[in-house]
Amino acid sequence: MRSLSRGITPLLLLLPGTAWLIVFFVVPMAFMLLISLQQGTFDTGYQLTWNFGIYPEVIGQYWELYWRSAIFALAATGLTLAIGYPVAYTIAFRGGRLKNALLLIVVLPFFVSFVIRTLNWRMILSDNGIVFGFLKDLGIVAPDFHFLATPASVIFGLTYNFLPFMILPLYVAIEKIDRRLIEAATDLYASRLQAFWRVTFVLSLPGVVAGSLLTFIPAVGDFITAEVIGAGNPQVFMIGNIIQRKFLDSLDYPAAAALGFVLVAVVMVLVTVYTRLVGSDQLAG
Amino acid sequence: MTAAPAAATRRPGLGARLANLVLPVFTGLLLLFLFSPIGVMIAFSFNDPAGRQNITWQGFTVRNYFDLWGRSQITTPMINSLLIATVSTVVATTFGTMIGLALTRFAFRGRWIMNMLIFIPITAPEIILGASLLTLWVSLGVERGFLTILAAHIMFNISFVVVTVRARLAGMNQSLEEAGMDLYADGRTTFWKITFPIIFPGILSAALLAFALSIDDYVITLFSAGHTLTFPLWVFGVSRLGIPPEVNVLGTLIFLTAFAFIGVQLWGQRRQGRAAPITLVGR
Amino acid sequence: MSDQESRSQIELTIDNLLRRDLISRRTFMRRAGRGGLAFGAALTLPSLLAACATPGSSQSATLKWLNWPAYIDIDSVDESKYPSILAFTDQNGIPVEYNEGLLDNADFLSAYAPELRAGNSTGWDVMSPGGWVVERMARNGWLEELDHSKLPNWTANCADYAKGLWFDPDNKYSVWWQGGITGLAYDPNLTEREITSFDDLLDPAFSGRAGGFSDMRDMFGLTLLSLGVHPEDATVDDVKRAQEKLLAVPEGHFRGFYDNSYYDALAAGDLAICVAWSGDVSQMILNDNDQVKFVIPDSGGLRWNDNLVIPKFGANVENAHKLLNYYYDKAAATMLSEYVGYFTPVNGVSEQIAADAETARGEDDAETADYYDALAPTVVPSADQIDNTFPDKELTEDEEKQWNDLFEKVIGA
Repeated sequence: MRSLSRGITPLLLLLPGTAWLIVFFVVPMAFMLLISLQQGTFDTGYQLTWNFGIYPEVIGQYWELYWRSAIFALAATGLTLAIGYPVAYTIAFRGGRLKNALLLIVVLPFFVSFVIRTLNWRMILSDNGIVFGFLKDLGIVAPDFHFLATPASVIFGLTYNFLPFMILPLYVAIEKIDRRLIEAATDLYASRLQAFWRVTFVLSLPGVVAGSLLTFIPAVGDFITAEVIGAGNPQVFMIGNIIQRKFLDSLDYPAAAALGFVLVAVVMVLVTVYTRLVGSDQLAG
Repeated sequence: MTAAPAAATRRPGLGARLANLVLPVFTGLLLLFLFSPIGVMIAFSFNDPAGRQNITWQGFTVRNYFDLWGRSQITTPMINSLLIATVSTVVATTFGTMIGLALTRFAFRGRWIMNMLIFIPITAPEIILGASLLTLWVSLGVERGFLTILAAHIMFNISFVVVTVRARLAGMNQSLEEAGMDLYADGRTTFWKITFPIIFPGILSAALLAFALSIDDYVITLFSAGHTLTFPLWVFGVSRLGIPPEVNVLGTLIFLTAFAFIGVQLWGQRRQGRAAPITLVGR
Repeated sequence: MSDQESRSQIELTIDNLLRRDLISRRTFMRRAGRGGLAFGAALTLPSLLAACATPGSSQSATLKWLNWPAYIDIDSVDESKYPSILAFTDQNGIPVEYNEGLLDNADFLSAYAPELRAGNSTGWDVMSPGGWVVERMARNGWLEELDHSKLPNWTANCADYAKGLWFDPDNKYSVWWQGGITGLAYDPNLTEREITSFDDLLDPAFSGRAGGFSDMRDMFGLTLLSLGVHPEDATVDDVKRAQEKLLAVPEGHFRGFYDNSYYDALAAGDLAICVAWSGDVSQMILNDNDQVKFVIPDSGGLRWNDNLVIPKFGANVENAHKLLNYYYDKAAATMLSEYVGYFTPVNGVSEQIAADAETARGEDDAETADYYDALAPTVVPSADQIDNTFPDKELTEDEEKQWNDLFEKVIGA
């Protein structure tokens, strides 16, 4: 590689940003690890006792929530893929001159605050709100039907909020595909569906992988959707809700920190398994 | 250009023509779905609720748009958010661009560590970033507030800036720089006269992304905020008791700003007759 | 057609398009009264300038007060104005920043404990926590001692039932703000029957539309009463039985365990029946949903009160005392009570409301007069209400931990 100037220049360029990341990212992770190994109560203070027993303890107590969070996030990832793929495909292949405009329009709602969007969904989907109130008036839905505070509603909220994270990488991948390959395929295989599966989809896999990860990872740690659309129903809480409550409401820092590290481990394991399965190293973007 | 390639080569039958409609219709419906909470938000920003609730339509007014500016409960969080977003964008864009340059223009050992350091904050669940920062503040006895939020925002923005700027630098034709080196024979001059102007659009979109991420962040901010309110924190706080019209008013104004911004950008693209991919996402 | 008329035509059309439900009469009257102002005044340049000029320019002298939602009188024309607070500012020259951020006693304590322990300012001059929180904060040395020489109105006007409660026997750190009852609220249109007992809350008919409380003392308190145990006498075994009773309901019966945010869900009709605070329901009837009813379960309700306290480490103690003293003035307390519908700690408020009813009748405002007449007897606890309601138990730290652990299972956290 050629250089503008050698010596300390790269060091100077790296220094401020790297220092910032170390102080406010690496060091806090280390603090969180240490805190997870402390014992005590908030009132009496926490002492470092290297209490590794906290890990089996919190896993035993909360494995169900990890399980539920993974299921919710997987379901949301699957849904965003199912919904987002046709849209990304349509924009990339049929968008023509409007491609960019369409893409921006898809992303536009997401400029409005995450919190505001989710709150408005809560209003739309409330028991007697715009959607279900109407359906109830028509007698299509039973009067005591409710959607909010159900697992489906949380998956719905996650799906909505993370759709652009799926659509954008899918679009980038699909847009890059050389259309002549598909033409060649249709000439050879004669079926558009086969051509789609064997050429388009395969070539768009990097986008699928990137989109799935960009959706799954934030979704599995999300707690606002369960709080707002799940309406605080403990039966739809995700692990993020517990971590947040333990940190900010019950001030049980050790358990909260341990729960956080377990979450990191769960995400890392799932992501590794997934990327192995797909056989792609798209991760190191 | 517009039709699917397979359809372009053969004369489509009725079934194929209907099939061709499925995708655009689906996309249209999805757009409707995506915009439905926005539509409700805008409608209810004109609602005139009697009590604390803003959940049923009670009357049309534009008063909400004029009332909120004098109320410090609303303006203070807004100002906090704008300040934090601005400062964190400037700092993170500077630091991140520097790292991006170092990573693409210099060879050094331990590059993979650098890549991990950039990569992990982007992929870690937000709650982990927020919670680990909380443990730092609590352990060191730092009083949480404006400055702790700022530190957190700069932290998570740096990675996004690096990734965006690096993509631009990697796609850049280095022969221009080489020509510059030959002409100016000075790295600094070459950088400011050649490299910087070329990567400037990349830096700009990185800065916009950083600003958008910062102004909308709830999760990481929550853990570092103490009793300082930013706009998303304020919204969440007041909305536990129903969404006051002011929330929808501010949401609508933000939406219109983004809309205008994007409109201008598209218009500019049309005039220039070329398309640049834009990857700005608010979350 | 005049400007006014064409505007109201437009508004009416949009109204009719969007309106899904009827509003209460009082709401309508308030809106009607305000209607003329909406466009005309808001759009004039001076009003815009005035709006822009106001943001707290003298921040340092501003009194910052953290309180619960639905706990203050609201101006009938401009909802961002609180008449009794404005009157305080007029009288004392002290601007007030009023914040409705207190939603749950336990969360409140957790939010401020780290700052207070570190000796940092909370940013508030006055706070309004419940009784047990006062006791905890006082024990930790987080509250300023009150100087009663600066509270002459309290000495003169405080009702006996609002003095010397267990959590602060000598009112050394706190004075009553308002008090109320924890009972049940329901919307008869949704329950399709009248509600009388706590067990109605657990009726499978209301599965997914029943709301619990995230406040451990309230939730266990009502459950204990339904088991025939007074919370004051409850042992840990009793609480275990209460826990079992709550855990026995099928999954999904409780839509959630709410803090003050139950107000939203109840008013919106998402909850058919829920645990509720008395005054919230009176305000809901007034403003948001006049179908909702409040009932003390036949097994008994809980009585409680919130308090005004001054946190240590940086509160403006002088100004805070002025605010405390101000709300023990009969006129200010009446202004407040005519709106919020909770129990007042101030003697003579009930009589004053009755007198205001007469005045209103004299001015031919029968609507207001009827409302005041109905309200007057409710701002002090009646003998019947006192008989049917019970106070919290004073918990030791051990008990508190045990009760909390049992409760965590209930709310799944």
